[in-house]
Amino acid sequence: MGELLSYNRAYIAAFIIIVLVAMFVISVVVGRKETAQRDKDEVFGDPERTRGGWYWSACGVATLLLVWFYFSWGVGRAYFPEAANEMCQVAKLEEVVSPIKAALPIGSRYFKSTLLVARNTDQLDELVTQVPSDVFSPDEQDELRNIIGDQRQLMANSSDPTQLSAQTSSELNALVGKISLLADKLKSDPTSLKPTEEALAQPKWGLSIIEIPVLPTTSRGVLFDTVAGEAADITTLFNKIRNHPVQNDRIISDVKQRIQNLKTATESDDFDAAAIVQRNKYIKSVERIFKRLDDGTIFPARALEEVNGAIANLDAAKDHARGGLAWIESLFFPGQGVVKSRTQCTEQGSARWLPKPTDVVAEFLTLSNPDIEAGGGYKGIPLFWWKWLPLQDVVGFFVPDSIADIWPGEYAQLGPDGTITPSFKDDLLAFARGEAYLGAIPMLDGHLWDSLFRVLVALALGILLGVPLGLFMGVSRFFKSFFDPLIELYRPVPPLAWAPLILTIFGITDDGKIFLLFMVAFAIMVISARTGASGTQLSKIRASHSLGASTSQIMRYVILPNAMPEILTGVRIAIGVCWGTLVAAEILAGTTGIGFIENIARTVSDYELIWVTILIMGILGLMFDIIMRWVIARTIPWRGKG
Amino acid sequence: MKSVLKSTILAAGVAAVVAAAPLAQAAEEVNAAFFLEWATPNQIAKVDKAYDAAMGVDVKWADFSTGVAMTEAMLSGDIDISYSQGLAPFVTAIQQGAPLKMIGIAVVYEANDCFVKNGSGIDSSNASELEGKTVAVPLNTMADYAFRRYMSHLDVDTSTLKIVDQAPADGAKSLADGAVDMACIFGGASAKAAGEVGTPIMSSQEKVDAGIGSFDVISVTEKFATEHPELVRAFMEVTEEANLAWKATDEQLAKVSKDAGMDLETTKDQMASFIFPSAAEQKENYLGKDGIAAQAAASLGLVFSGDSDGSSIAKTIDGSFLE
Repeated sequence: MGELLSYNRAYIAAFIIIVLVAMFVISVVVGRKETAQRDKDEVFGDPERTRGGWYWSACGVATLLLVWFYFSWGVGRAYFPEAANEMCQVAKLEEVVSPIKAALPIGSRYFKSTLLVARNTDQLDELVTQVPSDVFSPDEQDELRNIIGDQRQLMANSSDPTQLSAQTSSELNALVGKISLLADKLKSDPTSLKPTEEALAQPKWGLSIIEIPVLPTTSRGVLFDTVAGEAADITTLFNKIRNHPVQNDRIISDVKQRIQNLKTATESDDFDAAAIVQRNKYIKSVERIFKRLDDGTIFPARALEEVNGAIANLDAAKDHARGGLAWIESLFFPGQGVVKSRTQCTEQGSARWLPKPTDVVAEFLTLSNPDIEAGGGYKGIPLFWWKWLPLQDVVGFFVPDSIADIWPGEYAQLGPDGTITPSFKDDLLAFARGEAYLGAIPMLDGHLWDSLFRVLVALALGILLGVPLGLFMGVSRFFKSFFDPLIELYRPVPPLAWAPLILTIFGITDDGKIFLLFMVAFAIMVISARTGASGTQLSKIRASHSLGASTSQIMRYVILPNAMPEILTGVRIAIGVCWGTLVAAEILAGTTGIGFIENIARTVSDYELIWVTILIMGILGLMFDIIMRWVIARTIPWRGKG
Repeated sequence: MKSVLKSTILAAGVAAVVAAAPLAQAAEEVNAAFFLEWATPNQIAKVDKAYDAAMGVDVKWADFSTGVAMTEAMLSGDIDISYSQGLAPFVTAIQQGAPLKMIGIAVVYEANDCFVKNGSGIDSSNASELEGKTVAVPLNTMADYAFRRYMSHLDVDTSTLKIVDQAPADGAKSLADGAVDMACIFGGASAKAAGEVGTPIMSSQEKVDAGIGSFDVISVTEKFATEHPELVRAFMEVTEEANLAWKATDEQLAKVSKDAGMDLETTKDQMASFIFPSAAEQKENYLGKDGIAAQAAASLGLVFSGDSDGSSIAKTIDGSFLE
């Protein structure tokens, strides 16, 4: 069942999207109607105006999901499941042709030769000004300047179209011819081309580690794939073409010899070590530029214009062959399209870091599968499940081992026949250490439970200790003055600032993480209880006092009910902040937890997993908040009416 | 008359601007990434602007603290070349389909150590006693890789260990506190701290005998490699020259330690354990078809995501930029 759903996730997404669009339209229609109906009886600013309005909630959810579907390419995949594969084939051609394009204005505004000449000229200009006069003799300095002048001549010759050798010229012509042939091929009708068996057997888009299947699965894709294969040969050819004008040959061998002469002169014994280093350094930088010129990678601009034209022609043919795909791409695949890297095709733009909703759900289902053997859970621990908790573990945690030590008697020793007879003292030690079997109770387990447990325990401790302290601070001069500096000093410190200390004090177990969360919750609870208590109207307290209420009765029946709204709001805030601190707390020493999963997922850039953890935390936070709203509505109906 | 004057001024202004910016495109810049506290000879070339001179462009260096961050910066287009990226982040990036290339080996160094708490009586001869104990490992890093290699070499079943994900500094602290029995560490300062209270589970010699080593790579975005192969080549050339010129003299060490942000002693110790393979050696031993790089990448891929297809990672190794 799960397999089937997972396999057909594109179709499911297609259905969901239609439902979402319908939901959006209906909710807007209903919402507008309702608003128009009520408009006349409502006054602006009346809190009653915010009641109800399910249709706007539905509208908001639909909008959010539709935006998510759109920018994650979920819409594109739902209705054009083959598009990514075709885009991948186009990207293959792009990848293959890119070295040629990079040398031409069509790809990088300038001819590569223009950039090279400009760059080399700049460097030569700089070299001329930097001839070290103290280590080279005046003759040598002239010689160096001449060499640099000759290098300029080399560039001038290479840039002169009339000096282009017949061989280079014919090679370039052949290249243009081949590119044109390729363009014609792209314009041909692809319907007769059939994808291979192997290609059709690939996992579908998004179903395996390799996101987009690489082999072409449509006839249009096959066409692009074949053309890309042929273009690869053309690119190799292009990379091999060199421009060596005849006039350059003489200069090159001449300059080579003169540089060699300078080097030989350096090796003679006339110079000290520092001078040799300086001479070599300078000669090296002159030679470096010379070697580049010797490579023959500078071409006259006019010679490459035809290649540029041919590539433009190929681009036009590509657009023609893409046909409707171009429209689909610009409408349904926001971002930079598909890019082919050396090993696979990947989605670029928002889809790179925003996984599709259906993929996130599938990832969540895998994660929440309690069957570890079948690949469920994360790092061998389920997301949310139960297990048998041996009772002795709990006992072992609470009972100190020293109980056995102070019990009278001796621990057992091995007897002469090699047997060991445990005494009561031994049994007691085993009990205290949690090694004696005492039965087991069912207990919740998993990453989610561990995180929940940490938050809930911290919150409970925060409320139990924070609320009384806050109330007393609200009514007692001693409590207020004694604790105020303490609380106010530690409250503004960001929780993560405690992290290095926590690790040293508590070690790597749960108590450190709980303590970190507790500190957050505690401060919030103290502040809110105090505000609530001190905000009680004096007239109410006086009234109850004159009616004969004792101190504890005033506290119990007047101050506490008055502080309740503030306290419960404090709980709401504390829950939110605790969730927020959880990820930081679980970085400390990660073994389990939602924050731990997110931290590990980040190191491998597993965006699906990252989004699953974000959504789990968001949804859990929302659930807690809904529960708290319900509690507030039930327990303190007087809120906002005092 | 006035309008003539105006247009003349305008024309002169435009001409001045155009003349002042001859081929603004030619003066492009290259962004390179490096690690702080990771001393390499090419930092001399970096400080002396030898890269800028040889490549004819401005080279801007940005320091990073993790290889994953380097990958992210390269994907977003802020960085063109990463010098000394760890093999682990490179491999995980490739597995996610990132368009990157390995073009050289920056540093070969001893595998990161796993420190066993002093007094626990565990060493390489009785490592199986680790089973059931707690180990701090920074997951998905080169230290994680080294840890798994050690354990498989010493026949320890990792599924019986309680593995805690901790950053090196935290792991060293937990080891000192006795919260963990072994901590796998990378980075000079943390390793020093862990060495105070622990002993490496395998000695340097044992690591060499077992063939466990690690290395950092030079990686570059495919886009940059395609569009500016001559710049990449010049970069590698300067790096090679800097490596060849490295004699570990005091003057050189001072320069490197200043740039690496470490004191002289630490720099000296760190660099003493580093090997900077020459271009010829890289091509022959590391970057070939079944070279060390391809094999290590394949086994790393297996460790981190169970993707046994090492051949796909091997495709991103390109030694052609080494002259």
